[in-house]
Order: sequence, then C-alpha cells, then structure tokens
Amino acid sequence: MTKEKYKRFILLLSLGILVVFLVSIFVGRYPSPPGMSPRTLFEDRLARQLVLNLRLPRLLVAFLLGMVLSAAGSVLQMIFRNPLVEPGFLGISQGAAFGAAVSILWFANHPLVIELSATFFGLLALAASYYLSTRIRYGGWVLRLILSGVAVSALFSAGVGVLKYIADPLTELPEITFWLLGGLYSVTWRDLLFVLPFALVGIVVVYVMRWRVNLLSLNDDTAFSLGASLTRERLILLITIVAAAAAITAISGVISWVGLIVPHISRRIFGASAEKSIPAAMLLGGGFTMIADDLARTLLAGEIPLGILTSAIGAGLFIYLMISMSIKVRRNE
Amino acid sequence: MNKILSLDGIHFSYGEGDPVVLADLSLDIPTGKVTAILGPNGTGKTTMLHIMLGLLKPLQGGVRVAGKSHKDYSKRELSQMIGLVPQFESIPFNFSVIEYVLLGRSPYLNPFQLPGDVDLKITENALKEAGISHLAEKPVTEISGGERQLVHISRVLTQQTKILLLDEPTAHLDLENQNRILSLLKRMAAQGVTTVITTHDPNAAIFAADHFVLMDQGNIAAEGELEKVITTENLSMIYRTPIRVEKINGYTMVVMDKMEEHG
Repeated sequence: MTKEKYKRFILLLSLGILVVFLVSIFVGRYPSPPGMSPRTLFEDRLARQLVLNLRLPRLLVAFLLGMVLSAAGSVLQMIFRNPLVEPGFLGISQGAAFGAAVSILWFANHPLVIELSATFFGLLALAASYYLSTRIRYGGWVLRLILSGVAVSALFSAGVGVLKYIADPLTELPEITFWLLGGLYSVTWRDLLFVLPFALVGIVVVYVMRWRVNLLSLNDDTAFSLGASLTRERLILLITIVAAAAAITAISGVISWVGLIVPHISRRIFGASAEKSIPAAMLLGGGFTMIADDLARTLLAGEIPLGILTSAIGAGLFIYLMISMSIKVRRNE
Repeated sequence: MNKILSLDGIHFSYGEGDPVVLADLSLDIPTGKVTAILGPNGTGKTTMLHIMLGLLKPLQGGVRVAGKSHKDYSKRELSQMIGLVPQFESIPFNFSVIEYVLLGRSPYLNPFQLPGDVDLKITENALKEAGISHLAEKPVTEISGGERQLVHISRVLTQQTKILLLDEPTAHLDLENQNRILSLLKRMAAQGVTTVITTHDPNAAIFAADHFVLMDQGNIAAEGELEKVITTENLSMIYRTPIRVEKINGYTMVVMDKMEEHG
C-alpha cells in the first residue's frame, strides 16, 4: 500500500470512528431501543445526565480498551513471532482476574481496590512469566516465554477456580463471574481517569516504536546485528503495553479476541509492516469495541456481557478469515 | 597484511562444563578480501562468526575491529561496522521485500525514528545491486530460496558496513543461484568491503575467496592462500574422507573419491 493511499485510508477510518462515536451517544435502550433522537437530548434532562455521566465515559473507555488490546495484540504477536498470541498470553488476563477475585473475596469489594489489585496481579503474572523464562536453560527467547506464560496462566487460572469454589455463592460468586465475563456497564469518569495514564503511555510508546517492532520480530542474531538492544527494547514495549492492558482489564473484566483478531485484520488490509499496521489496528480496535459495546447494551433488555459479544464476533471473523485463507500459521523454518 | 578484524586467543564454550567449542583460537581477517572459513559441520564456524559479531562473548581472549577492542564500541557503532546474514532466518510475517530490506537501516536510526527518504534511496540501490529491484513489492514468503538469499544480502548491504559476515550463504542453493550470490560478494569485495563466509563446500570457497581458513574441531588447521591451504592432505584430514585436489584447465577443483568399504 503506497503512502498516499495509506494516509487516505487512515483519514477515512478516523472519520468513520468519529461517526461511530457520535452515533453511539444516541444508541441504547433509553427511552426505547435502538436509542434516542438528538432532540430528546435537548429536551429530556434525564437523557442528558445519562449521556454525560454514563454513556460518554463508557464510550471513551470502550474506545481506549479496543485501542490498547489491539496495540498489545499487535506488539505481542510480532515480538513473539507468533500470530496466535494475544494479551491473555503471558498470564496477564488470568493474573488480573485472580487479582480481582482476591479483592472481591478478602480486601474490599470497592471498585478502585479491585482495579488496583487486578492491575497488580496482571503485572505480577508478567513478571513471573519473564522471571521463569530466564530460568529455563533451553530454547530461544520466544519458546521460553511461551512455556512460562502457559504455566503462569494455568497457575492463576487454577487460583481463580479455587477462589470461585470458596466464594459465597449468593454475594461474591456472581460478582466474580460477572467480572470474568467482562463488561463496561459500571464505567464512570473516575474509572476513565484511572486507566487514562496507563493507556496513554502504552499507546504512545507503541506508536513511536512502531517501525522498531518490525526489527524486534526478526531472529535474535539478525536483530542483534542490526543494533537492537533486544532485551531492553522488548521489555520497554512489553511493560508499557501490558500495564495498559492490565489496568484497562481491571475495569472492563476479561475481554478476549479483540487483541487476537484486530491485528490480523489490520495486517491483511495494510500489510505486515508494523509501521502501518499498528496505528491502523489501534483505530480498528477502538471502533470495533465501541460497536460491540453498542450491541451489548442495546440488543437485550438485560445487558449482554461485552466479553461474550467480542468472543462471538471475534471467533466468527476468525473462522471466516481462516476459511478464506488469509490467516497463515507457518512453521518456523 | 592489513587486518580489519582479529581474534586473539579466543576460548569459548556454551556453558560451564559444556564441551569446548573454540580453544585458544587466533585469526586475522584481511581487509577488503573475501575470506572463506571452511570445515565440516559442527567445527565451530558459526560460533566464530557470532563471536566476531559480538553476539557471543568469549570466555577468554578478545576481538579487535579496525584496531579497537569490541568493548570500546557501542552496540550501534558495532552494527554500523559489521553486518550478518545468518544461515537460517525465518521471517514470521509477510513483509514485502522492500519493507524487509529497509530494516538494514536500523543501525542509523534510534528506536523511535522512522526511516526517511535517504534510507529508502539506499534500500532501492541495494536491491538494484543485488539485481532484485523487480521483487521490491513482493511478499518475502512468496519468492524462491535463491531470491530470498539475495534479499537477505540486500538487507545487509543497506547496512553499509565495512565487514560482512555470511554463514553458509550458498547452502541449499542451486548452481545458478550459488554463482549469483558468490559473484555479488566478489563485486562487494572489489568495492573494498571485507567479507567472511563460512561454508562446508570447498568448491564454493575456491570460487569466491582470496583467503582460506580451514577449521578442525574448534581450531585452525591451516590458513592462507589457495595453494597453501586447499591441498589433498589438508582436506582429506579435516573432512575425514578421501578427497583429491585437481587442477582442471588451471582451475582448482576438489573431487571426492569413493570411500573404501569397511568390512
């Protein structure tokens, strides 16, 4: 794709997202599905409050969530040279889930505490995976991290299982389950402020290092010969984007498939080079999540958990892409 | 002899208690020539290249590049001096040829920089030099093995280093592609680029190189010019199989003899 064509495409995509955003403000079940007219917003005080206090922060978090998960997915897939990797990898999601459950059970069932605990355990899972990988004496960097990630993920998921088992089935268990399914129904401006710094740092770092990500996806010896400080540069990218993903997972719950499928679609349209595919993936992911969240709060009288919707849509797209042969999982030669 | 790269008393093994790969190895690489490091599989040729590059650190001994110790270079300075084409390189994503070759400009850009017009120009010239300009927009996964090796070499050419290290550059290639690659390396040497290739194929080495290093079990068995190094005795000894060196119309060729049956 030429530079000019790419720029035009990105401009169109941005415009499209702006339209989705504006439309999303009016979409919902108030006063009746599929939403309100712009006139209602002027005439109805309740509608104005609903938009200002609930819908706007929720939309912005949905947009950030999609951007961060897609950026994280792109970076992880390229750094780990594996197109099937997503932020759930390395134990991040399971760690965050464990943190949330621990907080619901023992600390305080307060949103801020749950968020901090989830972020902390998400990062702890990353640190554990990384530490474990440095202790394995065989295989390349990628293989070691994948093995460590699988092990750490399984440990935390066993932990979540235990916590669910001992949780009070009437009060605590539904809370944990709801959190695990993922959703943005309770997002407030305060939540947005909590994730904003993490999300912005992650997004900015990935954006400015987007060309470098290509280099970091090459074999270790080649990347080294091209002057890359492999461990340091990979760690900078991983820590910033994983912290962003963990922080946002802390308020949204586990939202899967966005980080897996959006980078694929972006590479399919814009080519493999991360210079072009990463910014596009961020925009596509933001738009995708906003639309999915519109559906989550409009389709049924009771809200559908966002995580279920993104899984259903994501898996459907994945199947379509697999059948149309545009996802290629290749053996390492 | 003018030497741009020298190894001095290198001792290396991959871990404590692991077998010694290189033992007290010293070697000078002549400036502006093609040096071929020859030897059977598993004699430490690749390890030696990785030590020259700085990817592996020797347990003892040191590496000097253009008169300065490895240690006195920053990683980025070193990557502007020495380029590598590894024996195996998997490219996991479907970059176009030009996107991939452009990565050779990394040593001149900081981690937050994007390549500019100058980098693109240099990349296009490298593709032209390697004779693969027509492949620029093709995905790297959709070209032949020979073209792929030319793509790797173009990438290292955009790096504009004084020293090129190529690990088995002609392995798995047919004769036409071997000729293309080795001729390209000779042209680069003529422009003053010092080239080091490893190969287990003596005939490929004879075709391309000016200077020969015979490796045997982690050490240097012989070193010097063609006549001195590529002899029936030397090759038979290190390859442990009957080999004859013949002159055919003034051109040195290495021929295998049939092995005797063991009873």
